[in-house]
Formats: sequence, C-alpha cells, structure tokens
Amino acid sequence: MLPQNIITQASQRLEKLLESCNVINAAVIVTVDGHLCTMRQRGQQYPLERLATMGSTLMSLGDTITAELKMGTCDNIISENRQGLVAFMHTDQNHVLVTLATQKNVLGMLLSHSRMCAEDLGKIFAG
Amino acid sequence: MNEIKLVFTGSMGAGKTSAIAAISEIPVINTDVRATDLTTSQKKSKTTVAMDYGELTLADGQKLRLYGTPGQQRFDYMWKILIKGALGLIILIDNSGSDPIGDLARYVDNFRGFINETTAVIGITRMDISPEPELQRYHDYLNERSIQLPIFSVDARSPESIVMLIEALIAMLEFGQ
Repeated sequence: MLPQNIITQASQRLEKLLESCNVINAAVIVTVDGHLCTMRQRGQQYPLERLATMGSTLMSLGDTITAELKMGTCDNIISENRQGLVAFMHTDQNHVLVTLATQKNVLGMLLSHSRMCAEDLGKIFAG
Repeated sequence: MNEIKLVFTGSMGAGKTSAIAAISEIPVINTDVRATDLTTSQKKSKTTVAMDYGELTLADGQKLRLYGTPGQQRFDYMWKILIKGALGLIILIDNSGSDPIGDLARYVDNFRGFINETTAVIGITRMDISPEPELQRYHDYLNERSIQLPIFSVDARSPESIVMLIEALIAMLEFGQ
C-alpha cells in the first residue's frame, strides 16, 4: 500500500481536479487489485468504495480486451449512462483513476482533466 | 446441449486460474493483476479481479465454456455476473487456508440459490501439503446443512483431476443427484 505522504499528495491532486473542473463530481484512486487508496466527491452522494473495486475489474477487462485485439495499451474506459459518465484510466502500472460526471455532454472535459490528473498522479506515485 | 457454461469459484489461491489453464484448449483469457496487499501478496504475486475464461471440447463434441471468478469477497459482484446462464458450479477450496471450512460455507451460502436449482461439485486443493481438515469434515459440514454434493481431493494443476471434477459435475447434471 502507499505511504501516507503519497496518499496525502494524491488526495490534494484529486481536490484540485474537482476545483478545476466543476463537471466532475467524484474521483477515486484504486490499486489495480481493487483496494481504495483515496477519494474525493462533492457531498457524500456515492458509495465510492464499491466503485473503486469495480474500477479495478473494469480496467483489467479493458487491458485484457486490448491485449486480445493487439491494440496497444488501453488508455481509457468510458461508461456512458443516462444520468452521467464514468471514466477509468491508469495512472501508472499499479493504480487506476476513476472519475464521475453527472452531465452527459461533458465527455471532453471529463477526459482531458482526468488525463492531466492521471499523469500528475503517476509522477506522485513514482516519487 | 452442444455448449455448457461451467463456473469455477472458490477461495483465493485455491487454483481456479490454474484449473482452467490445465484443461483449456485455447490460451486462457485472464485478468490477473499484481497483488498489492500484504495478505494476498504473501500467498501469490497475482490475483484475478474480473474473470478467467477457457474452452474445452469433450469427446462427444460438447463444448465447455469455463469461467473462473475472482476469489476475494470484495469482487462478489462478479460472482453474480458470471453465474448467469451457467449449468454447473465447481467450488475449489484451499485446504491450507486459515479457515477452509469457513471458506466452503461462504461459497455455498453465496451460491445456494444456484446450487439448489442446478448442482455443484467441490474440489479440495493442497491436501498434500495440508492434510487437515480431512475430507470427512467437509462432508460433515454439508450434512449438517442438509446439502449433498460430491467432494474430491484434487490437484488444480493436474488436467486429470480437473476433468474428473467436470465429469462428476456433468454426470450429476445429466442423471440428477
């Protein structure tokens, strides 16, 4: 598991993500085997612990499908829903970032801000 | 019945991925990732977080589609997804675990509805390195719960062992318990 100072830095980066992109309602960092590292959300509206574990499952399935089709590496998985969007992406080899928006027409914003955040988190985890 | 979906479930490290790999005639599709927690990583370096998938064609032409579930409880949503449409269940229990009878209880409880509707077989692994509890303890536990399922000591890496489990399961499906 991550050292506390790394978790603190990662939490601060998630806070920055929510501050800089008001369409993102929640963000979760999870290990590739489904352990919640840290999370931030507006209010307390989502059961993010369960989402965290599912994030690892979905990302792994995405990686497996991509490898099966020999399409390089899986960058994102996007779940488009009637009441919003969920994006899953790797931050590094060991962690997954899950972000959630409750509007449907904000995919570009969700992906661009989440990707920047994932890159920063990768640097934080690399120390 | 030309295609049969079977599901392998059971405790972490019991050998579900190995069992499917032992008999699959296609490269196994798996979703193993690095185990990051101490408890798991002391036991094995990788763990399944979504599913395993393999295929086996029987001599009579029937195709078996073999699905493996994640073993850890926090992935139990995958258990419910993978069991849909299955005809039989194979429960593998690691006899060297800290509470193998408790492990069996957990999987029997979680899949009780499915077991009542179809059937299951139970394979106990690693009895060679951890002979206790004996198979009779598992039978006693099931008898106390009025459940009748066959129990075998198996080596999850051995194709013969896994085929034996599958043959027992298919016999129960075809001829009843």
